[in-house]
Amino acid sequence: MLRMIKTFTQNDLIRFVYQETHAEENIEIETAAIFDEELADELNALKRTISALDLVERTPSFKSIDKILSYSKSYDLHSSK
Amino acid sequence: MRKYEVSDSQLISLYKNGSEDAFTELVTRHKNKIFTTIYMIVKDHDLAEDLLQETYVKVVNTVKSGRYNEEGKFLPWVTRIAHNLAIDHFRKAKRYPTIVLEDGSNVFNSLEFSEDSIEDRQIKEDTHTLLRELIQELPDSQREVLMMRHYMQMSFQEIAEVTDVSINTALGRMRYALINLRKRMDKLNVAYDKNLYPE
Repeated sequence: MLRMIKTFTQNDLIRFVYQETHAEENIEIETAAIFDEELADELNALKRTISALDLVERTPSFKSIDKILSYSKSYDLHSSK
Repeated sequence: MRKYEVSDSQLISLYKNGSEDAFTELVTRHKNKIFTTIYMIVKDHDLAEDLLQETYVKVVNTVKSGRYNEEGKFLPWVTRIAHNLAIDHFRKAKRYPTIVLEDGSNVFNSLEFSEDSIEDRQIKEDTHTLLRELIQELPDSQREVLMMRHYMQMSFQEIAEVTDVSINTALGRMRYALINLRKRMDKLNVAYDKNLYPE
């Protein structure tokens, strides 16, 4: 468990790394992380894990994207049939 | 999270007014997240391609017929369509997702690694495959929240409502998902390599 200076819960940190905290909370957490090494480490670990999630992203083929864009462009043609 | 000069809602407005360029930007901007959401469910590249196209047929039909709800966010809305189509696919087929080998990946997925050696590329592919497997191995409730928050870009409040739990429970599930992933990555020595995880 983290020994934090203020009242940040683990859930607060999750909201922080997913940018769901308010501006005031952001400043409090960022400031606390400067003085609390354990908190800073925890935040960095969370950010690294989240970065890893972006790595598993896959890319669709150009062909699929072309088909989607063509469908949109020709929408009026097929919707008026 | 990336910040864009032109927001999704601005692009949608432009698209409603006939700008196909705005639609192209929207599709390009979010194609990987939506495609990954589908792929994580169906685990079949070709099927995911089909379902991505189906998803966008619904998007185009909804927006162009004036039925798009301005109040919602674009990406969570599209990913929910994609998610539902992927789930529906298995309901119709009356079967659960089967494991498909990774060699179904197409040549375009390799383009981003074009400057790497074959060996580096293989290491990255292996790492990505391993990470995908680790996500699949998470308990259902944790994987669900992780998919909804990270790939479908739903807020924790929205996730809590959809899954009928408190926001603290949704946050707790996400926390355990990340902790579990980190532990497994450490155990399997999926190193926090700076080349893989630029800061």
